[in-house]
Amino acid sequence: MPNKAYKYAVGYFLLFSILLLLSGALIFSDTIGFSYESVQNYYLGNAASFTPSKSFDGLLKIVVPHIFAFGLFIMVVLHFLLFTCKRNTKEIQIIIYTSFITASLELFSPFLIVSGFDFFIYMKVFSFFLFYFVILYTIFILFKSIIYN
Amino acid sequence: MRFTLIKNVKQDKGMKPLLNGLLIFITLYLIFDIFVKSHTLGLSVTMVHTTLFGNADEFLDPMNKSVFLEFIHMQIFFLMMLLLTLSAVFIRLLHKKAKVILTVNLVMVFGLLTPLTLFGTYFSSTEFISLYLFCFFIWHSIAFYMSSRALWELNFAK
Repeated sequence: MPNKAYKYAVGYFLLFSILLLLSGALIFSDTIGFSYESVQNYYLGNAASFTPSKSFDGLLKIVVPHIFAFGLFIMVVLHFLLFTCKRNTKEIQIIIYTSFITASLELFSPFLIVSGFDFFIYMKVFSFFLFYFVILYTIFILFKSIIYN
Repeated sequence: MRFTLIKNVKQDKGMKPLLNGLLIFITLYLIFDIFVKSHTLGLSVTMVHTTLFGNADEFLDPMNKSVFLEFIHMQIFFLMMLLLTLSAVFIRLLHKKAKVILTVNLVMVFGLLTPLTLFGTYFSSTEFISLYLFCFFIWHSIAFYMSSRALWELNFAK
């Protein structure tokens, strides 16, 4: 009985995770956008639309709470993998490293964009999509494990 | 979640005060969250409507889309972490009692419906406001019951 109840709790937690990712994607698309120009305009500003460039202080205010939230979220979601058949596999290691690396790139690439490294505009968008892919794949594995095991 | 591995949590000198502290903090959060929400978003249909869509007669601006999305994003994060922690403790302490699964299901379903109905209110129809308020109060009540029941079980039940 406790195992069954835990399965329900984890299942609902995964649904909340999907909702969190969905709201995150909506914020990204609404405030930044997914194209090269929109990311550039958001961080470096645009004189034509009177958009100021982002300052280091402004970026820090957004990034700091997200560092803790990303770490906690990734740890909580991914630690459930240890209770599945994927435990101690190469795949789980790849998932863990990819999640933390893409999350770091997603969080810190704005500082490099503001510093003049335009290449990181691509990295920002790429890391965002890769992070979402890895977390959604993990959620899929966990749902499969809850339903079939 | 070390407490899931300890056989008798009620007798453990380390885990018992830790879980007591966690449950008391969760209870306090649940109580103060209601006061915070009454000031930020409102706890009546009219107040929520005014906060989200403004009021031309009182010169109140509607809530910006990005502000709303950030608000809901933060709410989901807090809600998911709180409900997972509370459910884990509740299941661990009361797994022998009946209706544990039903309680967990209810708190989670109403917890999920709370941001969804608020989302529906902003983007679809204002009809969702009363449903949002209903879900908000129900998940708070069930979560309050869960934390109090877990506290009772941890300290006073035989």
